[in-house]
Amino acid sequence: MRKIIHIDMDAFFASVEQRDHPEYRDRPLIVGGDPDQRGVVAACSYEARNYGIHSAMPASRARRFCPEAIFVRPRMEVYRKVSEQIRAIFRHYTDQVEPLSLDEAYLDVTESELFKGSATLIARDIKRAIFQETQLTASAGVSYNKFLAKMASDMDKPDGLYLITPAQGEKFVEDLAIGKFYGIGKATEAKMKSLGIHTGRELRKWSEEDLVRHFGKVGHHYYLIARGIDKRPVNPVRIRKSLGKEQTYATDLDNPAEMQRELETLAANVATSLHEKELAGHTFTIKIKYDNFELITRSQTIESPLDLDTMNALIPELLAKTEAGRRKVRLLGVSVSKLVNRKGEFEKLQKKLFEQEGI
Amino acid sequence: MKILLSKENLLKPLLATCGVVERRQTLPILSNLLFQVENGSVRVTATDMEVESSFVIPYATNDSWKTTIPARKFLDIVKALPDGSEIELRADDDKIRINSGKSKFSLSTMPAEDFPSIENLEEIVTLALPERTLKNLLENTQFAMAHQDVRYYLNGLLLEIDGNSIKSVATDGHRLALSETTFKTGVNELFQVIVPRKGVLEINRILSEEDTEIDILISKNHLRLVTENQSLTTKLIDGKFPDYERVIPQDSNKKVYALREKLRSGLARTSILSNEKFRGIRMVLEEGKITVSANNPEQETAEEEIEVMYSGEPMEIGFNVSYILDVLNILKSEQVLIELKDSDSSCLITSTESSDSKYVIMPMRL
Repeated sequence: MRKIIHIDMDAFFASVEQRDHPEYRDRPLIVGGDPDQRGVVAACSYEARNYGIHSAMPASRARRFCPEAIFVRPRMEVYRKVSEQIRAIFRHYTDQVEPLSLDEAYLDVTESELFKGSATLIARDIKRAIFQETQLTASAGVSYNKFLAKMASDMDKPDGLYLITPAQGEKFVEDLAIGKFYGIGKATEAKMKSLGIHTGRELRKWSEEDLVRHFGKVGHHYYLIARGIDKRPVNPVRIRKSLGKEQTYATDLDNPAEMQRELETLAANVATSLHEKELAGHTFTIKIKYDNFELITRSQTIESPLDLDTMNALIPELLAKTEAGRRKVRLLGVSVSKLVNRKGEFEKLQKKLFEQEGI
Repeated sequence: MKILLSKENLLKPLLATCGVVERRQTLPILSNLLFQVENGSVRVTATDMEVESSFVIPYATNDSWKTTIPARKFLDIVKALPDGSEIELRADDDKIRINSGKSKFSLSTMPAEDFPSIENLEEIVTLALPERTLKNLLENTQFAMAHQDVRYYLNGLLLEIDGNSIKSVATDGHRLALSETTFKTGVNELFQVIVPRKGVLEINRILSEEDTEIDILISKNHLRLVTENQSLTTKLIDGKFPDYERVIPQDSNKKVYALREKLRSGLARTSILSNEKFRGIRMVLEEGKITVSANNPEQETAEEEIEVMYSGEPMEIGFNVSYILDVLNILKSEQVLIELKDSDSSCLITSTESSDSKYVIMPMRL
């Protein structure tokens, strides 16, 4: 069973503005475009929500709903900064962080040993750390998959913490109105209702084939979430597939010894980058462009992570499998792929003083 | 509502307090200084709600008024006026006018009533210490404090007072610094407070090397330091500091005596080629010498032999070289004693002249 936390900042842009401008506090505040132009509401404070204002609404309409509301332009730079602060906080708890937007992220804390592995306590501490560092509140949802964690974070907003246990998951979904399902928008909701599906319980009665017939591929997903099942993994930010360096030469190379030397230099650069990015790789590739622009690559995969010595040893082997030397070369490249993340590995090398206390 | 001060006189309280003002605040008034004129004195106060610093200068007046003035701009203006200038400050409505010679400035003020002051402390304990004693305690240990750690109770310094002994302890979870001394006044029972990082740095800034006594007032949530013309109040961290006694090694069986400067410079040279991020170095200990070596990701290497007094079993151990250099930079003695057990256990570094300060460093697996 996995332990997933969904963190969602409360009225993020608006809360940042209220934090930085005390005169906006406790007042309906709308962050977004110009109501006199065709601006839309990007975010609004909870006070504004009481007037029925919500994000993506035309700003002019929002002003009709609440003429005394304060309208301010977004300060994206500031929000981005705060977002970075929050993501840095998440990474104190786990590497398995999947940001959804500036103010939302999924965290997989299954492997975490913090707080004796209690995801609820971790979520509470994350909320505390966020508040301490940014004076902003967040709501957290804790459950055993992304879908339910996301639903849970919405249950107790603002400043909420809500847990859906594996025992409660199916029941929770059954009682949910169909429009409340994350991923079911207005159009799908209407279509579901026309099919007589108003709640999770009714959705559950449908077979997978029927759902796919009506909704296409996403029908599989509906079938599963109706049962509280969501196998999608938490994907940490952008996974790099390979890392390489290459060099085009002003005059073509024809001396194999020189090519060997150039490839070694490139390999050293790659090794440094890998190290800086805390990555290790298993597949070593050299790339050669002959003087007629024909491009070839030669690779070798090895069991243990590549270090510079290994790369240097592989260079002549791979070079021998090409026609370099017999043919002139205009470009050389080196890359490493099948990367594995070594983040935290070095930190683990440093022993801790209070290992026994778990801190 | 005006006063006349020399540049030098006015600059003193501004320089003493402005360090507390944060560049980015949550409340606009926190970028202002509280400026109070009252029975024979001028008091300037700055706060970030965690640390409050105030400085008093004598000033002959019967007036009594107060306002708040933008700190940064006020300081910059006063600094930029010619030395020896006489400066007139006049407050009216929501402005303060600063006139000096042919220069005139007008700054916006905010009402003094809105300035958040730390309320009067309900003292639990009062101590008196020579300034130098406290300064030494802080300087001997503060470098080991954690910085923006999620374990918030490590982002500060533990002060432990027990009878006539006072200890300061700082740790970031990888190394620990402890310094201990005795003082005259003493207390009846043991108690501990954690002073946050910023409070420690600000306290250290106002302490001199003199033997003049300062008063320390401690309440449940605050610590206040009072000197003749200055007072500094810091919030305390509400948390439990880890049990530091337990991690001070007791069973080391290898003693290495080294000349501090020789060891320090050798390590500093070797560290040039250690990994910039993780700063790992390898130490091979044999009779009469330590061989230290390092290599970086580019496979460039450094190695140096350092003579030491040692006659035990050979052993090999890795460390973050910065942690050792921090200690060797803080100790003042000619010789240091390094006590070790094995490559998985912490080492203890002390001066050979006194063991008032103890430094514990966990090794690195290399």
